[in-house]
Amino acid sequence: MGPTAELAPESSILKLDDNALESAMSYHELNAMINLWSADGKMQIEKDKLAVHKYFLDHVNLNTVFFHSLRERLSYLVEHQYYEQQVLDQYSFNYIEKLHNLAYSKKFRFETFLGAYKFYTSYALKTFDGSRYLERFEDRVVMVALTLANGDERFATHLMEEIISGRFQPATPTFLNCGKKQRGELVSCFLLRIEDNMESISRAINSSLQLSKRGGGVALSLSNIREHGAPIKQIEGQSSGIIPVMKLLEDSFSYANQLGARQGAGAVYLNAHHPDIMRFLDTKRENADEKIRIKSLSIGVVVPDVTLELARNNEDMYLFSPYDVERVYGIPFGDISVTEKYQEMVDDPRIKKTKIKARVLFERIAELQFESGYPYVMYEDTVNAANPIKGRINMSNLCSEILQVNTPTTYNEDLSYANIGKDISCNLGSLNIALTMDGGNLGQTVDISIRALSAVSEMSDIESVRSIADGNAKSHAIGLGQMNLHGYLAREHIHYGSEEGIDFTNIYFYTVLFHAIKASNQIAIERKQAFDGFEDSKYATGEFFQKYIKQVWAPETTKVKEIFKNAKIAIPTQHDWEKLAKSVAKHGIYNQNLQAVPPTGSISYINNSTSSIHPVASKIEIRKEGKLGRVYYPAPFLSDDTNEFYEDAYEVGPEKIIDTYAAATQHVDQGLSLTLFFKDTATTRDVNRAQIYAWRKGIKTIYYIRIRQQALAGTEVDACVSCML
Amino acid sequence: MSIKQSFIARPVNWNKIEDPIDLDVWNRLTSNFWLPEKVPLSNDVQSWGTLKPHERVLTMRVFTGLTLLDTIQGTVGAASLLPDARTQHEEAVITNIAFMESVHAKSYSSVFSTLCLTNEIEEAFRWSEENPYLQKKAEIVLSYYNGEDPLKRKVASTLLESFLFYSGFYLPMYWSSRAKLTNTADLIRLIIRDEAIHGYYIGYKFQQAFNEESKDRQEDIRGYAYDLLLELYENEIKYTADLYDEIGLTEDVKKFLHYNANKALMNLGFDALFPKDDCDVNPAILAALSPNADENHDFFSGSGSSYVIGKHEATTDDDWDF
Repeated sequence: MGPTAELAPESSILKLDDNALESAMSYHELNAMINLWSADGKMQIEKDKLAVHKYFLDHVNLNTVFFHSLRERLSYLVEHQYYEQQVLDQYSFNYIEKLHNLAYSKKFRFETFLGAYKFYTSYALKTFDGSRYLERFEDRVVMVALTLANGDERFATHLMEEIISGRFQPATPTFLNCGKKQRGELVSCFLLRIEDNMESISRAINSSLQLSKRGGGVALSLSNIREHGAPIKQIEGQSSGIIPVMKLLEDSFSYANQLGARQGAGAVYLNAHHPDIMRFLDTKRENADEKIRIKSLSIGVVVPDVTLELARNNEDMYLFSPYDVERVYGIPFGDISVTEKYQEMVDDPRIKKTKIKARVLFERIAELQFESGYPYVMYEDTVNAANPIKGRINMSNLCSEILQVNTPTTYNEDLSYANIGKDISCNLGSLNIALTMDGGNLGQTVDISIRALSAVSEMSDIESVRSIADGNAKSHAIGLGQMNLHGYLAREHIHYGSEEGIDFTNIYFYTVLFHAIKASNQIAIERKQAFDGFEDSKYATGEFFQKYIKQVWAPETTKVKEIFKNAKIAIPTQHDWEKLAKSVAKHGIYNQNLQAVPPTGSISYINNSTSSIHPVASKIEIRKEGKLGRVYYPAPFLSDDTNEFYEDAYEVGPEKIIDTYAAATQHVDQGLSLTLFFKDTATTRDVNRAQIYAWRKGIKTIYYIRIRQQALAGTEVDACVSCML
Repeated sequence: MSIKQSFIARPVNWNKIEDPIDLDVWNRLTSNFWLPEKVPLSNDVQSWGTLKPHERVLTMRVFTGLTLLDTIQGTVGAASLLPDARTQHEEAVITNIAFMESVHAKSYSSVFSTLCLTNEIEEAFRWSEENPYLQKKAEIVLSYYNGEDPLKRKVASTLLESFLFYSGFYLPMYWSSRAKLTNTADLIRLIIRDEAIHGYYIGYKFQQAFNEESKDRQEDIRGYAYDLLLELYENEIKYTADLYDEIGLTEDVKKFLHYNANKALMNLGFDALFPKDDCDVNPAILAALSPNADENHDFFSGSGSSYVIGKHEATTDDDWDF
């Protein structure tokens, strides 16, 4: 077996272990010390290493089941229903042992206390009574590789190497569940339509329960549902609108809490021109009545271009009854482009409408974002203009990075399916930008990652929700994400949002896109199969490739040129694109969607990354979660040397974040979770201006708004690092 | 007749600010406004179930103790500061303080009703009425609130806001550092955020009045402040031991008391009493205490304690110039 104890680098231990007081401290206390200044006013990052060391000595090693050999361990785990036998049966024991030894030879070490704590608390396999650990990090990685490679030894070895090196990190449900006998699904992100009828509403609640039970986060579109006061069976004033549906959904998610692991999580999206929009927003008010208050359901607003134009002209905006719209056009409200049909609908006397001031809507949205962080915003027309797939995108998901087309499902009288439409699931995984650049073989890292994500899609069959199962089988949609952008930039002495920072982001994402399509094309060639509907896509017509064939994409700054040159990573040329476009036209691509940049909470802690591609919230981040409590996380590579490059997100400000995301967005087919950070001196106007700026720069979605309030001078805790600017 | 002539009712004019601190604090307090319903306390039900019976009893007792202090501060304490407010804006701030104290007092009840059974709640309230140290604490503070000297009332109020609450605040911070009752801790942190400002503000007003006094009177007040602190401290030590001995945290809580006693003195403009070595609070508690709203919470398991009511400002045509 591998080493029995995991230790922090020798040097830091020897230096610190002398201190008797510290050795008496618990790992939690040592970890908290990184948020406090030392007596002589210095940061105490090294205390975190000591916390890791202590955590292993005092907790992990004492609570890990010991096995004499790998053979003994595996047969025990299979026999006692911990591991899935079918996964192991695909390989010879010799190979598994070789892979296992290779994994341990890489000498993986957790860089932070939060990384280790998070892994053992949430990911590692435990005995059924929850008291002892049955896996170390290496064991988990090996099991993930064996599961996803489906018996392909060469691929399993490659995948293990990509994951253990930290270059590729599968998303939580995949990393957590692979190879376990008692497990949830490998995918965790679902998007469901709701149509304007009781069958569809009740099916949506049923599906939400089923998907939550399996560990998923679910987003639902409410745009099609008739408004408060709309007729039912032609009798006016009958419908109670969307709020009661939200209440039902919220309670469903709270009920299905995954064995108490965490509450089910849900989000609902509503078109800005739905008549219930103001009621919808008011559910998040601080002083909302308990009957309409929504606490744990996330909300998002779908904003078409016309809404911004009306606000620009300071005009009224009309809200349209979805009930009437569906009767007039014969398709649900959510599937209508409001921008395109706006004037037509205004002029149509058959459609009931109400009006509000467009600017008031935006101001209300900003007010609520101050109070609650919600709603998310999706710029509908930007999203659809960039969508290479035939069909309409009318909603996003719980993290606002999934953007795919869907179609309605219809039901018979007895609630059985009349026609199964297409709903959305997405499995994700992210590259650590710093380590991917260091690896020097970006093409291979992307290729292995795309194959791993495709394998997850193939292994997933959500039978309880047929529209999801069918959608997945047809599209094999995946989302390759990115994280540790700020970490990488800081290490390379580049300021986030600077010219060089944006230049790098542009070229990096450009290069990743090329390899992602290439990998998907390669899979299509191998399997002789493209995703369903490929022939109607802009990939098939070649339209998608025009901007890469007709335009040169190359670094503009010397620094970024150097970076790619030194990393020996080739930047695709117009000629490369031409060749790829031809091959795609001929063979297609396997995955309907390829990229989506998630917010990466948990996995970026394990992977020692900064989250996603936004700036750090703080050099020492205070992380709070239900299962972990309050834990402190130092930015990766943080040292005296990189300190000045770790301006936090509140200092960086919204414009530079938007510029950085805009550079990435142009190369990503789906979305990117974009959080905006404001100091508490900001007003709703500043938030509105950032939203307008984001829209102008072609941003697709805005995720949370975070506000940082500084303690009033005179009330702060003196010794606290995170209080210092 | 003469009384009528000398009395002129003046409307408070917020366009004429005599002391900018009044406005700062008012803005801060109103933007910090919150109600307990905002915190999804029911997410703590499972965690509550993992506490041992004696830990649950302790937690409930600590909260009834806090409820009592907030009740006093909301109904008597803050109100007793009103007559000697220096500005009309100060009066407005004090009424806000009084109201928020009542919100705090009610929020402990939200915790109880979410986590506990009625008979347990009643038992805990009975305990609060019978515990000699808690009653003594209330008695001492109340006697000064009812006293004649406005400066002494402010001293008592500051000590309550900045010192007496903290033996109770320790426990939820401790639980949350062990990943227990984290939503309850969010709620407590909202209370701490308020109390930190209350203590600071009342202390500030005290210092203003104090600096106008004669040397002799200043000495008198200073002596009184330290005496009162020591009187409260002695009682607080016993109260702490009574509560925390069973789970072995008394010594740690005491350090926390020293730390906050010094903080309270600082708010009054006086020198610290306890040497630094006696104030080395458990880092997990100290780091959790920061009133800054800079926590990066996971939205799926709680609402966090960092959102504020926004300042509304309409957009102009220039903003929409695209």
